[in-house]
Amino acid sequence: MGILEDWRNDFLGRISLAIHCFFSILFGNRLPEEAARLLPRQEPPKPAAPPQPVAGPADGAVQILSILQRDARLVDFLVEDLSGYTDEQVGAAARSLHSQCGPCLTRYLKLAPVIDAVESTFLKLDLAAPYYSDPAALKFLGNVPASGKAPGGILRHKGWRVERIELPPIPATGSLAVIQPAEVEVE
Amino acid sequence: MPAKFVIGIDLGTTNCALACTEAHSLNDPVQQPTASLFEVPQLVNPGEIRSEPLLPSFGYLTGPGDFAAGATALPWNPEPSLVVGVLAQKRGVENARRLISSAKSWLSYAGVDRESGLLPVAAQEGVAKISPVEASRQYLEHLRLAWNHQHPEAPLEEQHVLVTVPASFDAVARDLTLRAAAEAGFRDVVLLEEPQAAFYAWIERHTDWRERVREGDLILVIDIGGGTTDFSLIAVTQEAGELKLDRVAVGEHILLGGDNMDLALARAVEAELAAKGTKLDTIQLFALWQNCRAAKEKMLEDGAGPKEQPVSILGRGSGVVGGTIRAKIRREDLDRVLVDGFLPQVASTEMPQERRRAGLAEVGLPYAADAAITRHLARFLRQRASAAEHGAVRRTRGGLTAPTHVLFNGGVFRATRLRDRLLEVLNGWLREEGVSEAQPLLGEDLMHAVARGAAYYGLARLGKGVRIRGGVPRTYYVGIETAMPAVPGMAAPLKALTVVPFGMEEGTELSFPDREFALAVGEPAEFRFFSSVRRKDDPAGSLIEEISDDFQELSPMEVTLSGTGGEREVVRVTLKTVVTETGVLQLWCEARDGRRWKLEFNVRERVGGGSEP
Repeated sequence: MGILEDWRNDFLGRISLAIHCFFSILFGNRLPEEAARLLPRQEPPKPAAPPQPVAGPADGAVQILSILQRDARLVDFLVEDLSGYTDEQVGAAARSLHSQCGPCLTRYLKLAPVIDAVESTFLKLDLAAPYYSDPAALKFLGNVPASGKAPGGILRHKGWRVERIELPPIPATGSLAVIQPAEVEVE
Repeated sequence: MPAKFVIGIDLGTTNCALACTEAHSLNDPVQQPTASLFEVPQLVNPGEIRSEPLLPSFGYLTGPGDFAAGATALPWNPEPSLVVGVLAQKRGVENARRLISSAKSWLSYAGVDRESGLLPVAAQEGVAKISPVEASRQYLEHLRLAWNHQHPEAPLEEQHVLVTVPASFDAVARDLTLRAAAEAGFRDVVLLEEPQAAFYAWIERHTDWRERVREGDLILVIDIGGGTTDFSLIAVTQEAGELKLDRVAVGEHILLGGDNMDLALARAVEAELAAKGTKLDTIQLFALWQNCRAAKEKMLEDGAGPKEQPVSILGRGSGVVGGTIRAKIRREDLDRVLVDGFLPQVASTEMPQERRRAGLAEVGLPYAADAAITRHLARFLRQRASAAEHGAVRRTRGGLTAPTHVLFNGGVFRATRLRDRLLEVLNGWLREEGVSEAQPLLGEDLMHAVARGAAYYGLARLGKGVRIRGGVPRTYYVGIETAMPAVPGMAAPLKALTVVPFGMEEGTELSFPDREFALAVGEPAEFRFFSSVRRKDDPAGSLIEEISDDFQELSPMEVTLSGTGGEREVVRVTLKTVVTETGVLQLWCEARDGRRWKLEFNVRERVGGGSEP
């Protein structure tokens, strides 16, 4: 049951909130969220000028998407409702998409397997390798010992990691949020 | 500072390439010179610069709204007016009316003023068009500045530079190429014929070439580029115990190449789709064209290529799968459209059709009327022999020039089946005439051989490596009006004075003291100028009575004699022709007192009906 329920009608409730606020400010240096919502809304001051666009980590993601869309129409494909089409129709488009996505991916990203070995065969792990101590790089499946690590097993997936990203510089102007411009053909 | 590099530039109809070799390998007695390719930085997408082995010979005249501000900046030019290379080609598909293509073909077309704003031909009102010379200048300048950006220590204008031209380029087209290079900031450019460059590339790759050919051999170079087909014959001769190479004949200018083949295939697929009720727009047709090029190479590689190749063109709107158009290219289509269409089995006596066929012609350029390359080859091999050829060239009793070897060049020949067919047709002719068959010489790197070969030739000019002797590959004439009583409405009959005989060598000159012209000082005097690739035996100074179909009229040559005073002076001059060390043809007027004036091509003058065939 929340503190705020019926607080307007319940005097004890209001005292309880006041005390909660008192301690919260005293020890936590902040007003509890529930109380903050009661204060008149304060608009953050408007910046004098729009900030210069600065490339952030999200921009790189949008950029990769727009490249895959531009060169291989990937976004169109993923967004499209395929339920009405036959496998043959999907296959024909997929073949074309695949032949364009591949070169596009390898041009801007250098991918490498985490473990370069044959899948479905037994593999003795290199206990000194960086991947061995990195849970993001190596995942144990099946009969995993209590320690969470094993010296080897069957390699099910060799993994992928990005060795290098070479994206073109992000232009200083223009909207990065656009991954495909609208196209209007003049008759 | 001495030049560090020898640089070869292939200024192609659809692609340019640049190769270089280090000049200091000249002094190295052991090291064989090798040429390496310069990857050309260029815009490949808005705001993205990448180095590619080829610079597509396309220009895009940027308009408002084409690209975001700064998206076409190059490291050496923040705001180019013309985008050159991959991005130009890409954007040009979407807006063809701002795209400049085939500038080189326009450069050799005498039917238009090549220094006036002609391109893009289909530009909208209000777009500032540029001339074919200016377009060529832009491509060359891009190459120069791209090179200088990566080699600031060795700027291109201080290196030995060779630019290749089709062997079939006449003196005017060569002159305009040099003009474009000079305006692009090049200094001391040497021109080299493309089929020769291809042969130099073969020599560069086969240092044991002296064991592969022998005296009396005759090498036919067939160079099919994106837009042109070029033939040359190189004879192997001997002099003082050393093998020598002589370029003994070149073909006429044939505007027909690999792009025509890919387009013909795309059109065939388009027609098939249209029969089923599917219409393609220009952008889809371009996608189909690219697909056809890839499919052609895959299917014509070896006998084992796939029987049919699916091509799919993705839908235009945001629905990719729904709009995808599917088609198939079958082996029969390829054989019908490409092999039989462009390389039909014909007799060696069959000559190309002169009349233009509907469908192949496009606005402007004088495309070849006959798409059959084998017929053009038959005509080339049946050309009259020149005096220089006699003895050096194998000929059948039926009068057919009989090559002993064939060197293929150009991206088209990556398709094995096309090489095989050409060889099959040629060897059929040779067997029929009772002589031994020609052997193929295997070239490598068919797309870049010309640039590499040009760099090799640059070294050969400096003294390292063998040189092909060539001389001027045409005969040139000056038109002379015969003195006759004037007949109203009739032009005085014209005769042709041979001023440059076929094969006139670099670094030589000829005078014609017997024929004097009276020219007024201060007024432009014009000489009509003709050439012929077919007439090879007219000696210097001979007067040809009738100007027949064998002649082609070029742009006129013009000279304005600068005099001493304001008085109207008439000077009696004689003509003199010079072929410079770099192969440039010059005509001079010489007065008795030693004064001389150089004649210049007047390409601004429209030549009536004097176009190339």
